[in-house]
Amino acid sequence: MSFLEFVEGPLWYVAAAVFLIGALWKVVGILRLGRKADLSIPRASATAGAVRSQFLHFVPHGGFPFRTIYHLTAGYMFHIGLFLVLLFGAPHVIFAQNNIYALPWVTMPYWGFVVAAQVAFAGLILLWVRRISDPVMIKISDKDDHIGSWLTFLVMLSGCMALQESVVALRATHMLLVDMWLIYFPFSRLMHAVTFMFSRGYTGAFFGRRGIVP
Amino acid sequence: MNVSAAIETMVSNIDASAASYLDACVHCGQCAEACHFYENTGDVRFAPVYKLDLMRRVYKRHKDPLAGLKKLVGLVPKELTQTDLDEWSELIYDSCTLCGRCTIVCPMGIDIAGLVRKTREGMVAAGVVPEGLTGAAERALETGSPLGIKPETFRKIVAEQAEETGIAIELDKPGVDYMVILSAMEILNFYEVIGALAKIFKKAGVTWTMSTKAYEATNVGIQMGDKAVAKTLVSRVVEAAEELGVKYVVSPECGHAYSALNWEGPNLVGRSYKFQVIHILELLEQLRVEGRIPTKGKDSRRLTFHDPCQIVRRGGIVEEPRNILGQIADNFVEMSPNKEANICCGGGGGVSSNSNAEKLRLLAFGSKKRQLDEVKPDAMVTACGNCRNVMEEAIDTYEMTMPVLSITELLAEYIED
Amino acid sequence: MTSRGLTRFLQKLGCAGVIVLGVWFGMTGIALNAPAFAQTQDPAAGSVPGDTKGSTSDSDFWRSISQGERGKVSIPDQKAAVMINRSGEDWRLVRMGPLPLWGGVLIGISLVGILGFALLHGKFKMHGQRTGRVIPRFSQAERWVHWFVASLFILLGLTGLVILFGRFLLKPVLGADALGAIANAGLQAHNLLGPIFIVAMTIMLVMYFKDNFYQKGDFTWAFKGAFFSKNHPPSWKYNLGEKSWYWLIAFAGTAIAVSGVFLIFPTVLDDVRGMQLSHIVHAICAIVLIAASLGHIYLGVWGVEGAVDGMTLGYVDETWGLEHHRWWAEEEIKKNHAVKSASEAVLAAKKETST
Repeated sequence: MSFLEFVEGPLWYVAAAVFLIGALWKVVGILRLGRKADLSIPRASATAGAVRSQFLHFVPHGGFPFRTIYHLTAGYMFHIGLFLVLLFGAPHVIFAQNNIYALPWVTMPYWGFVVAAQVAFAGLILLWVRRISDPVMIKISDKDDHIGSWLTFLVMLSGCMALQESVVALRATHMLLVDMWLIYFPFSRLMHAVTFMFSRGYTGAFFGRRGIVP
Repeated sequence: MNVSAAIETMVSNIDASAASYLDACVHCGQCAEACHFYENTGDVRFAPVYKLDLMRRVYKRHKDPLAGLKKLVGLVPKELTQTDLDEWSELIYDSCTLCGRCTIVCPMGIDIAGLVRKTREGMVAAGVVPEGLTGAAERALETGSPLGIKPETFRKIVAEQAEETGIAIELDKPGVDYMVILSAMEILNFYEVIGALAKIFKKAGVTWTMSTKAYEATNVGIQMGDKAVAKTLVSRVVEAAEELGVKYVVSPECGHAYSALNWEGPNLVGRSYKFQVIHILELLEQLRVEGRIPTKGKDSRRLTFHDPCQIVRRGGIVEEPRNILGQIADNFVEMSPNKEANICCGGGGGVSSNSNAEKLRLLAFGSKKRQLDEVKPDAMVTACGNCRNVMEEAIDTYEMTMPVLSITELLAEYIED
Repeated sequence: MTSRGLTRFLQKLGCAGVIVLGVWFGMTGIALNAPAFAQTQDPAAGSVPGDTKGSTSDSDFWRSISQGERGKVSIPDQKAAVMINRSGEDWRLVRMGPLPLWGGVLIGISLVGILGFALLHGKFKMHGQRTGRVIPRFSQAERWVHWFVASLFILLGLTGLVILFGRFLLKPVLGADALGAIANAGLQAHNLLGPIFIVAMTIMLVMYFKDNFYQKGDFTWAFKGAFFSKNHPPSWKYNLGEKSWYWLIAFAGTAIAVSGVFLIFPTVLDDVRGMQLSHIVHAICAIVLIAASLGHIYLGVWGVEGAVDGMTLGYVDETWGLEHHRWWAEEEIKKNHAVKSASEAVLAAKKETST
């Protein structure tokens, strides 16, 4: 078995399993902690609040967009670029169709891939740079923050290095890093990609009863 | 100091919502932008997320569903120590008013103030609470008021107000519709509100009373994070109201009092009440809409409204005060930001009774001051005795001249005779 | 693009295609015919071989083609009249010889110089005690942009070095296949990140423009022995060295950016000699910047005690400010910025960012 076959075969399945089972385990574990029933009389619907909160926190409101414009821009650049590359990049779509499920899917042209990747890179680097140059960020950042950023960065860098798809070793490196990223995911803050919904939801429900969603 | 009790309490405080919060936080640091303590001091420790660090460590070590596996590879944070609790006492009590503004800016929508409150409960278990708050709690348990106002004093103050307005105020009267409770600050400093209420209620034909067993709305237990104290203080009000058989208890112009009685109270006493809680702003608005309090004339001063955090952002009463002011003020102007994004006075959440925090509280007022400097109102109206007291002191300190008014008192002035 | 422009573009594209195909077939033809030709012809010197018409022998004919002789074509693109571009060979000789040699020497001198200096002289220590009072030096925005450019510079620098020196340094160790993979990877990353660098660098140059003009006193600073003398001579916010670093980035960086665009988008220049020139300019400027950046990194991070604070935290200790940039520090202290604590500096830096 070649190295590429290993990282795209057994290791990929292990990583995907750790990712899925780990994330599921975590979500179930968190939800199972439960919450005490609130005996106070609600002014409005908690469910409506939970739904509203999901959308409300996509953009900071209440006078904050300007004050956090740097972070907002970099954050969106990174996430949008990443999702475009991940979901519509031709090599990714083909890999998913071969290894997960052959769903018909659209792909971006090559130049779209490159531009999306550039946007994502700029965003991620800017976010990381903020982490090392803002006194608040220096104070609050821990190992997990840096490992998460670096691992994601390396996944992206190895990916763009393999962009020409002509060298097997580069594809294998990218895949190895992807596998590592998947395994790291449930144990780290990368989990925010899932738990953000619950976080927003609980706050929305809590405040929804009070008739306001901040 | 009982560190393990603190850890135990914090562990038991982590429910599904707290776990989601602590898991979703990516340390993006945007909450710092929302915090008036950070904004005015530049002290990075005051970034709201950093205040949650004890809670985060407890969660990741003890409650994270994958904590067991992570422990095997040494990926869990260190256990809390005495030093940690001492260090965080300042962050948890002195530099957080539980105003909850940071939630607005949080991309994960984390209720940071709620988590600070849960950390406070751990601090209480460990016995690391600022003296100002423990003192207030002791006085509240002994005398019935955190400021030590005894029933005799209360009677005297009410009698004076009755005399001044010429309206009889009957205490401990059973069978009326409304029982009014007041915040300690109102009884001691802003007692004119009693006369104002008497005048308004007389005009509206509302039957009401106050109890000499439970006249105090302030709940220092909620502020310091002591559920036992909070429960005792809420129970007093509940028992007195149910004994008198009133239909409603009127929560006064006080931020935490409203949270304590309306939102947390039923959960503290473990049942719903036999009466309803109505906030004074809700009641006044209701009477206004029903046309029961006709007013005459309008205030021509440039007025603005300071939103008390616990009543507006965390209480859900947003438009009522604006509607009321709409009826009696000619020249109303909003500060920016306002409503659910308002800026705190700097003294909520027990900070005003915590002498360690005095300097910080005055510094934190800087954000409010900038808001006021932009709008330049002649007077500021609010609906919280504590906000009022804190802001009056800060306004003096910054050598500004601006009266801070109670909305109830202002309304009473314009009631048709 | 107008329809006429489009037509013209398509025409050009078509011509380019024809040329490429022509060259391709030509080369294949030569490659296929050459051995046969060599076999059938008597290579005896002096005689005119084959069925040559005219006075030029076939070998002379081919020789002049290989030296870039221009022939005649009937298509509009006269470039096609040159079958073998002689300048390509010149470029290849430079790229394989003096460029990596002297580039390597320059970077080597820089490294050895820094290492020697670090060993012999050691750190520039602060003479006085830290006061705890600080002076804001770089605003939040300035720091963000600096580190943004810095991280991209490192990525591009490393990948670029691999591309230029890989065949000399890595190939003997790793072998041709591994170098092929690494160089391919490096080039992909280099091309992808390059455009981001151009944007970032432009923002940085604009942002740092203000204090980087040479001023009276800069040269005195240099004549008085720069920071090598016992008592640092005073300087403004940036000393002569720092200002020169700025202008080096401004000029070499711009040259790198422009030549880089030509290299990624060959159709922009549409000229082989231009491409060759672009490549040489790109490489030379990059090597100069890399060599200089090593000094910048050493002095900024390790070499000068207290300097890195300015770029990480945004403020420097008053002692550091007065020792290294006395005129600037005095001005700042006079201005408002009588900043007493780190947290006040955070506030000052925030204010500067928001205005």
